[in-house]
Amino acid sequence: MKGMKGTRARGLSLHLSLIAGVLLSLFPFYWTIVMSTRTSTEIFQFPPKLLPGTHFLENVRHLFQNIDFFGSMANTLIVAASVTFLVLFFDSLAAFVFAKYEFPGRRLLFVLMMGIFMVPAQLQAIPQFVIMAKLGWIGSLTSLVVPAAANAFGIFWMRQYMRGAIHDELMDSSRLDGCGFLRQYWHVALPVVRPGLAFLGIFTFMGQWNDYAWPLIALINPDHVTLQVALSQLNSVHGTTDYGMVMAGALLALLPLLVVFFIGARQIMADLGKGAIR
Amino acid sequence: MTAVPGLGAPPAARGGTKAAAVRHKPRSVLGYWRLYLAISPFYLLFLCFGLIPVGYSLYLSFHRWDGLGTMEYAGLSQYRYLLGDAQFWHSLTNTLTIWAMATLPMLFLALVTAVMLNSAVRFKNLYRFAYFLPNVTSVVAVAIIFSSVFSTNFGLANAVLQGLGLDQVAWLNSAWGIKIAIAMLMTWQWTGYNALIFLAGLQTIPTELYEAARVDGAGPVQTFFRVTVPMMRPIILFALIVSTVTGLQSFTEPQVLLANTNNTSTFAGGPGNSGQTMVLYFFQQSFDNNDFGYGAAIAWGIFLVVALFSIINWRLVQRKDA
Amino acid sequence: MHLSRRGLLRAGLATTAVATLGGTTAGCSVPSGSTGRDMTLWYWTGGLSDKVVADARTRFTGVSLKPAQIGGYFKSKLMTTMAGRSYVPDITGLKGEDMASYLPNAGQFVDLRTLGAERLKSQYLPWKWAEGCAPDGRVVGFPIDTGPVAHYYMPAVFDRAGLPTDPADVAREMNTWDAYLDAGERLKRKVRGAYLLIDALTVYQYMLAQSTKRYVDKERHFIGDGEHVRRAWGTAIEAYQRGLCSKYQSGTPDSNAAMEKGLLPSQLGASWAAGDLKLTVPKTSGEWRVAAMPGGAANNGGSFLAITKYCREPEQAFDIIAWLLNPANQARGFTDATLFPSTPASYRLKAMRAPDPFFGGQTTIDVFGPAAQKIPVAYHSPYDYALDQVVSDELRNVNALDKNPARAWKDAMSKCRRIAEHMGVLI
Repeated sequence: MKGMKGTRARGLSLHLSLIAGVLLSLFPFYWTIVMSTRTSTEIFQFPPKLLPGTHFLENVRHLFQNIDFFGSMANTLIVAASVTFLVLFFDSLAAFVFAKYEFPGRRLLFVLMMGIFMVPAQLQAIPQFVIMAKLGWIGSLTSLVVPAAANAFGIFWMRQYMRGAIHDELMDSSRLDGCGFLRQYWHVALPVVRPGLAFLGIFTFMGQWNDYAWPLIALINPDHVTLQVALSQLNSVHGTTDYGMVMAGALLALLPLLVVFFIGARQIMADLGKGAIR
Repeated sequence: MTAVPGLGAPPAARGGTKAAAVRHKPRSVLGYWRLYLAISPFYLLFLCFGLIPVGYSLYLSFHRWDGLGTMEYAGLSQYRYLLGDAQFWHSLTNTLTIWAMATLPMLFLALVTAVMLNSAVRFKNLYRFAYFLPNVTSVVAVAIIFSSVFSTNFGLANAVLQGLGLDQVAWLNSAWGIKIAIAMLMTWQWTGYNALIFLAGLQTIPTELYEAARVDGAGPVQTFFRVTVPMMRPIILFALIVSTVTGLQSFTEPQVLLANTNNTSTFAGGPGNSGQTMVLYFFQQSFDNNDFGYGAAIAWGIFLVVALFSIINWRLVQRKDA
Repeated sequence: MHLSRRGLLRAGLATTAVATLGGTTAGCSVPSGSTGRDMTLWYWTGGLSDKVVADARTRFTGVSLKPAQIGGYFKSKLMTTMAGRSYVPDITGLKGEDMASYLPNAGQFVDLRTLGAERLKSQYLPWKWAEGCAPDGRVVGFPIDTGPVAHYYMPAVFDRAGLPTDPADVAREMNTWDAYLDAGERLKRKVRGAYLLIDALTVYQYMLAQSTKRYVDKERHFIGDGEHVRRAWGTAIEAYQRGLCSKYQSGTPDSNAAMEKGLLPSQLGASWAAGDLKLTVPKTSGEWRVAAMPGGAANNGGSFLAITKYCREPEQAFDIIAWLLNPANQARGFTDATLFPSTPASYRLKAMRAPDPFFGGQTTIDVFGPAAQKIPVAYHSPYDYALDQVVSDELRNVNALDKNPARAWKDAMSKCRRIAEHMGVLI
């Protein structure tokens, strides 16, 4: 071990760099808070006011008057939670197969999945809309949940994670114990890949929470929409948007995400005791 | 366990050789039924909501369509037009330049951040929270802040430059300024996300390896390059591929930074189309100009570029394990 | 918190069940083609006065009017739905700049002449009515609002430059583009750091908007290199070369600060641009006036309401539209949502003649009203938008990046021809 001075200097520079990063990352969030406490004209003032104002409650009141905030949040919650659950389950199952097993067609199926992952998704709205219309799902949350459960990103992530986390010895010893495929999945794989699942869960949830383009098209009834679609209704065309209200909405919409994040992030670093400590 | 693995010791501890993976090989394909069943939910959904829409866009690229009328068959003319379209190639070089400027430093920064987060025990909640935020902060807020930061007369960026005794840069008004601004926005937005990916990956490295390295007298930098990086190879590969795929298809960052109302399209990418990435160009052609057939051809052009770079990156990072 | 796998599994199954099974019945609207007396109306936030729409709901009891405000990508939502041919709204808003692409597909909409639109035609501005008609005469769009362009200026700054300050004087002395540019030179000399124009594009766009032609004529011939375009381009380049154009981008802190300091004392903009001014430079309230713009009258913006062919009760729909857009309600649209009426009768109503404190108590309708009536009838082809982008981009290269103007023109024209040919225009 080097001298005390060396370690302390290293620790200090570590903390300094982390803090610099924190400030950079936090500032726009802080700015969102400031904007949600001010009126529209105050927001566009120059030089900008950097301290919070006094209009938060007023902005929130306008927000609740203009859109069904809690109703649309409930819808979003249902969608995001369902999709996260489906993705965590289906993707980890499929990824386990790709990561640890050999079978005919494995390579082809994997390449096919990755290939589709690489095609830009923006044109897919029209055929997807037609399919949904034929299935009768337009206007319902089902149209948001079901397509999102097929997530190549999730499979790719879990596959890579499992390759790193699940050691062959574990697989061999569990097979010797007589475990079949499902038991190996439940007892061997899942416990070890908890951080990977936590990450996937957080970002799937977040992606669904912030998703706007497809819900805008698929949810026909304006009284039954998700949060981002409802918030977008606040954006008026010709300079009459109340930005204070919009930012208050953005801020409130963010809060549940932070809760989910905290739950998930603890799982990512849950085994910090076992990780490397200097 | 004596030598530091990753230097020559066979990767027996990792998901390497095929022989160790399966003991019993069923005789026929049907013996694998449990595996197929496990992946079938995904592939069924994938068939309906992945393959069919993608097939549709391929079909569309051989037609001419304005979104409302009938589709006219156009053969390969959309692709021929694409090959000769200078603006598309320009958007391609824009995309690649921005991607190179943003992604590679960003991934390195994310890895270093993850290692630091892993070791810093105090305030870890604050750090995690802070690094997560850029990814969820409202796009409107980000747009306002970053266009302020890069504002010519009042921006932070120029204030810093002038503080260092350098000249002002007309960031959002010059070809290179725009690209650098977009690259910085992308780095800011995605570093925390990738840091969390790497952080999760770091949990897969057994502590014993770090102990062994310490015993062998390796310093932090050496440990980083000899232990951490090789052990994280599958995760690094993931981050690189995903950054490639999403980075080459970026459009939120340039659009948000450069959408102003000087009577031009929000998808134009600023003066000289300097910030117009491929997907931005796609939006301009499809949704501004109602040229959906051409838009589909552009989308497939983008796909080819993305696939090419993904394969290159895959080859670079992947070693023996297929 | 201890999260067990089993617990998560149970919770996850429950929510998924709710979403997939419960979701199908919750609040679906009736799809087109089935029975029901719903009438859906789609418009973007700010596209119609919400109060007028609410009144329509109570007034028309024969149907159940369901208005839906769509924020964000209105056009892509509408077009996806129409391409999917289901859940298409009965009545929909159509933005003016998109009309050119809807008109060739007039078959998707009901010809309002069959519902008696002709008898209302005289109440609306003729050029606006024409914009809503397809080439074969079918009335597709019913006029909502317009965007007559005027000259917003700061009299105090003009005074320092030795320029007229009264709106009537400004309109008279800067009645041509040449006179306007000359005034700009005086401004540049007398007021340090001031620019007449935020960019050269302003000149080009509005000069072109004042003409009756664009880039493609009715027989699908390319006329983008015609005299009207050359003149607009030439004047814009002249403005740039005389140093009258700033390098600011509108909506940035740089431009807002400049406006506040009085360095951009002249803004050519539509009636709705007043809203943007009030939002971005509120401190200058009272320091602006409005005058008629140089060179004639031009329009920027405005939209229409249309009835799609999927509507099951077109007569009722037309009654609703006609009521929503009658002169009295259009005046309400102005006071509620700054939508400038397309019905000249509205201009005389008291509601529209309120003095505006932001403009020092000026009754702005006195400028916008006559301007709206002088706007020429022009033919817009579906190809205009794409071709305009090309020329605008090149002009921006000249203004912001100092590209050589002659080269920019050559590049613009060659790109225009290439794109026009690709889209099926006859070169």
